[in-house]
Amino acid sequence: MTTPRKRAAASVAVIAAGALALSACAQGGGGGPAPSAAAGRSQDVQALTRISVGTAEDSRGPAAPEPGAVKGGTVNMIDRDDFSHLDPARIYLNYNATASKLFTRQLTEYKIGDDGSIKLVGDLAVDPGTTEDGGKTWRFTLKDGLKWQDGSPITTADVKHTFERIFAPFTPEGPPYAEQWLLPEGKEYTGPYDGEHLDTIKAVDEKTIEFTLNAPHPDFNFTVAMTGYGIVPEKHDTKEKYDRQPFSSGPYKIVSHVTDKSMDLERNEHWDPATDPIRNAYPDKWHMEFGVQALQSTDRFIADNGDDKNAMTFHNPVATERLQQVTGDPELMRRTVSGLTPYTTFYNINTSRIKDVRVRQAIIKAFPMQQVRQLQGGELGAGKYASTVMSPTVLGYESFDLYGQQTRPQGDPEAAKKLLAEAGQPNPTLVYAYNQTPTQEKTAVAIKTGLEKAGFKVVTKPLNPTTFYDAVGMVNNPYDVYWGGWAADWPTGFTSLSLTYDGRQIADQAPNYSHLNDPKVNAAIDEAAKITDPAEAGKAWARVDRMIMELAPIVPEFYQTYFGLYGSGLGGVEFDPITGEQSPTDVYVKQ
Amino acid sequence: MYHFLVRRILGALVILLIITAVTFFLFFAIPRDPARLACGKICPPETLELVRHNMGIDEPVFLQYWHWLAGIFAGREFTYGHCDAPCLGYSFVNQEPIFDAIVDRFPTTLSLTIGAAVVFLLFGVGTGMIAAARRGRAADKIASSASLVGASMQIYFVGVLATWVLVDRLRVLERPAYHDFTADPFAWAGGLLLPWLVLSIIFTANYTRMTRSSMVEQLSEDYVRTARAKGMSSRTVFLRFAWRGAMGPIITIFGVDLGTLLGGAIITEQTFSLHGIGELSIKAVVNQDLPMLLGVVLVSAAAIVVFNIVVDAAYAVIDPRVRLS
Amino acid sequence: MTTPFLSVRDLTVAFGTEDGVVHAVDGLSFDVEKGTTLGIVGESGSGKSVTNLAILGLHDPAYTKIGGEITLDGRELTRASPREMERLRGNKVAMIFQDPLTSLSPYHTVGRQIGETFRKHTGASRREARDRAIEMLRRVGIPHAASRVDDHPHQFSGGMRQRVMIAMALVCDPDLLIADEPTTALDVTVQAQILDLLKELQDQSGTAIIMVTHDLGVVARTAHEVLVMYAGRAIERGAVREVLGTPRHPYTWGLLSSMPKLRSPVDVPLVPVRGTPPSLINVPPGCPFHPRCDYTELAGPGLCRGERPELAPHRGHGDACYLTPAQKRTIFTEQIKDKL
Repeated sequence: MTTPRKRAAASVAVIAAGALALSACAQGGGGGPAPSAAAGRSQDVQALTRISVGTAEDSRGPAAPEPGAVKGGTVNMIDRDDFSHLDPARIYLNYNATASKLFTRQLTEYKIGDDGSIKLVGDLAVDPGTTEDGGKTWRFTLKDGLKWQDGSPITTADVKHTFERIFAPFTPEGPPYAEQWLLPEGKEYTGPYDGEHLDTIKAVDEKTIEFTLNAPHPDFNFTVAMTGYGIVPEKHDTKEKYDRQPFSSGPYKIVSHVTDKSMDLERNEHWDPATDPIRNAYPDKWHMEFGVQALQSTDRFIADNGDDKNAMTFHNPVATERLQQVTGDPELMRRTVSGLTPYTTFYNINTSRIKDVRVRQAIIKAFPMQQVRQLQGGELGAGKYASTVMSPTVLGYESFDLYGQQTRPQGDPEAAKKLLAEAGQPNPTLVYAYNQTPTQEKTAVAIKTGLEKAGFKVVTKPLNPTTFYDAVGMVNNPYDVYWGGWAADWPTGFTSLSLTYDGRQIADQAPNYSHLNDPKVNAAIDEAAKITDPAEAGKAWARVDRMIMELAPIVPEFYQTYFGLYGSGLGGVEFDPITGEQSPTDVYVKQ
Repeated sequence: MYHFLVRRILGALVILLIITAVTFFLFFAIPRDPARLACGKICPPETLELVRHNMGIDEPVFLQYWHWLAGIFAGREFTYGHCDAPCLGYSFVNQEPIFDAIVDRFPTTLSLTIGAAVVFLLFGVGTGMIAAARRGRAADKIASSASLVGASMQIYFVGVLATWVLVDRLRVLERPAYHDFTADPFAWAGGLLLPWLVLSIIFTANYTRMTRSSMVEQLSEDYVRTARAKGMSSRTVFLRFAWRGAMGPIITIFGVDLGTLLGGAIITEQTFSLHGIGELSIKAVVNQDLPMLLGVVLVSAAAIVVFNIVVDAAYAVIDPRVRLS
Repeated sequence: MTTPFLSVRDLTVAFGTEDGVVHAVDGLSFDVEKGTTLGIVGESGSGKSVTNLAILGLHDPAYTKIGGEITLDGRELTRASPREMERLRGNKVAMIFQDPLTSLSPYHTVGRQIGETFRKHTGASRREARDRAIEMLRRVGIPHAASRVDDHPHQFSGGMRQRVMIAMALVCDPDLLIADEPTTALDVTVQAQILDLLKELQDQSGTAIIMVTHDLGVVARTAHEVLVMYAGRAIERGAVREVLGTPRHPYTWGLLSSMPKLRSPVDVPLVPVRGTPPSLINVPPGCPFHPRCDYTELAGPGLCRGERPELAPHRGHGDACYLTPAQKRTIFTEQIKDKL
């Protein structure tokens, strides 16, 4: 489904691309970024989201009701893939995270306002956490009335257990942050199962849990909003088998799950809406059906028959074949959701080979982004032109356009020529490495033609899609320009910028593909990472963004968009800019 | 016959052994790492090592293959669960024993195959016979051009179109889905009717053309002329003599088709959201799920090999000149 | 004189093809009496087999136009219904084909193939049919007939297979047996056996036989009368001794002189006369043989190219050639006789 137009690595991988979305961004198992980005013509994508950290008041349940919403009924969810993991500690994919919202809660979560604003609020915690030492020690207090699906209370012991079991050998997959930050220097730890525990996670009392990190992380409260840190009951932890049958802390519990076919959820009667500021949980049941390709789900939403009236999808986009039909039909457009996903795409410039910043800047100036986007399906198929490192969905994002990418997307070879003349290299040779797919072949020609107008000599180097990321991931790779994609794990500059542009993190197969190593940038990253005030930190990260772009280590390509459809019998279907998917929290079946 | 079967089955086992071994070693010959794929966006080397270990791919390839083979007879223990004999491994992705996954999906593929086979065999051979009997006349020309059109159809096109028209718009057919045959045969047939028909379109055309040409060829055979010369009715000549001779090539292709279909009708399953072996194989390839890949390769290969034996045996039954030795 | 047992009058068989109408048989007449054998000789494509298939009614009416009359035992066959013909075939009229290996069904036992003919025409039971098949196999001289009745054709030798074929043809005691090159595919000794067998069976039952062959040796050995065909027409006809002894038509001369020797193997391709047989779509005007004939000048200017010479309608030795009887005699005795 998602991205026949896109970077699809292996031809087979195209078929199931989105399944591996997040991992694909980093090390590119081959999928290409997940949900197809497509914006409705008539509906302007919410380009800017306002992100802030909420208060205890914001964290209080119940969730703000949807106007006109009623309880009851069954929502059908149809999507291409089954959820690859249900054990929170093994979840890194947004798609799994979206489903987990129905039965797994974290210490914190995002509350999406009607106006598109995003607030980090307490989910299990009464507020989004407190730190008094600049982010090294964090305290979270659990709400009253939190219960597991068997009615037993959710306790700080469960929280401690949750954060200890991420170290267990059977949960290697999820996010790595807490694992790195909570492990005391020099200690080896393999989970709580043989009676060993970590002092860095302390259940102060029944209600209060305290984390001591090995360095300050002022946005650790964002970190724990990841589904990877969703709560797991100490008493009902079935270890390796938990992935098959998680124990619910949310409004629903799993009653049946047939791998790759279906999943059925029913109400968890022990979930108390008064504790939950995010989940409205209107429907009584969820029926999920997997193996439905984007074209099929699109056709089913368009036909809008029977049970499909009450159907939505988490991440199937409107199939490219039906974009015209959907955007041309006002009735259908009323049933669409769209928005910017956290994904950004770009072309890495290998700074260890192209050392002169003016040459790098010339590449950006000359880059024929308009032609490239044309080849990949235009704005509907590819996304909005990007000109920054950070996505507009990240806290503190500032729009700037140092190289005229928004105003002259067709490229400015004259300006590039001037830069090259200044650099004293009027005809530098560039090796452009790309995934050898039909679309990429065409794109490569466009890029070569565009860059050569500015005087570059471009050598195109097709790479086998299965090994593309392995090849460009080597620090001493022999290429100058190669494609990449990234999405922040939480919407602050930290996971947007620090992993990818911190020169001290350069290693084979590490995310710093452009090998940018600028002392000033490194220092600015450290600086920004220490700021406790989220708004201030946001400004600081925006400055880092600008600093990075001044050094031109990438050619920003697109901010990816999502464009999806749902059945007419549903209300409250909303786009979740954190996951880039349709949100299940406010959905209701119309009466 | 007995010796034939024993020898062919032994031969088949050797073939399957070779096929799985080749799959196994090819999988690891390609420079990619399923652990990387499973590990997540940020994957430090230690974590990667752990994932590899959990997957059981940290051992030398020979040893892995040996474990895999031994598991078929003895069962195995994995990080994420136990797998009873016959254990074909444990899926990296689905986290279930491969054998269970295949047993779970096989009825869908089997139903799809059998139903479609009945339809395309009846229609294909039927129209082919009519075309042969009426060769040169209108019925033949209609059947021939229809089969040409049918043969050039693509399932993902016809399937989507048929679903849209028959299910979404006219609502005369049910949305394709698999229901257990034993629980409700009518729901079973109703849910598979559309896939059967669509899958049959392409095959029917093939069988029409093959039956026609095979029958025409047989009808010009000397022994068919003899049969007519001795007063056999045209019906007898057609059905008992010519058809008997025409069956050979049709059975051969039918065997190959059945074998292939049982290995998973990938596009058909995708088009109709059916959960069969084809879906498993696509998933296995995309997710680099080696155990699953081996499992579906084994099933597909076994289906083809088995039908090869069946075809050969059927040949001996049809044509007494063929000796099973 | 009464009506002959089989009488063919002005038979025409034409096939429509993409290239045009093929006049495979064009105005053929002959008679066959009970207990006698008519040999029909000619090159391939001369219309021999087409004639026989027409007698059996085996041409596909969709592609074939048949004219003239075929009367068997007083019954007109060209206008008989398919059902009538079905009842006739294998019953009153039977046929033996050239290659018994391909002409017998490889899929059925010989017993069944013989028996089903019997059952079809007599309504006998399976058992009776089987007994009859064994009896027939015995009659045609197949050893251990009772045990071989369940064998398949491929389990027999070539000669034995032809015997099976004959057994099958004779199972309903037909009045007319058409043998289409019955020995061509067999080696010489087996040939003789088969021909003797046919003769023997004819003596027993008085069957009329049409023996189609391009082997004049076979004709000499078995036939009472002979008909020489060229381009779908009869060009010479008469008693075997007369036609082979004093042939009159230049084509027959060529045919006879081309025979390496009587009773020699026949796997040598038969090229009786220079040139190739005419296309049956565009048959040359006049005598169809004239483009290959050495004596056209002798017959008179333009004569051979003008009207088509007709075979004299009377019985006895006759031919269709414009040469005068005297010319024919002279040419034969002076130029041809020594070559034979």
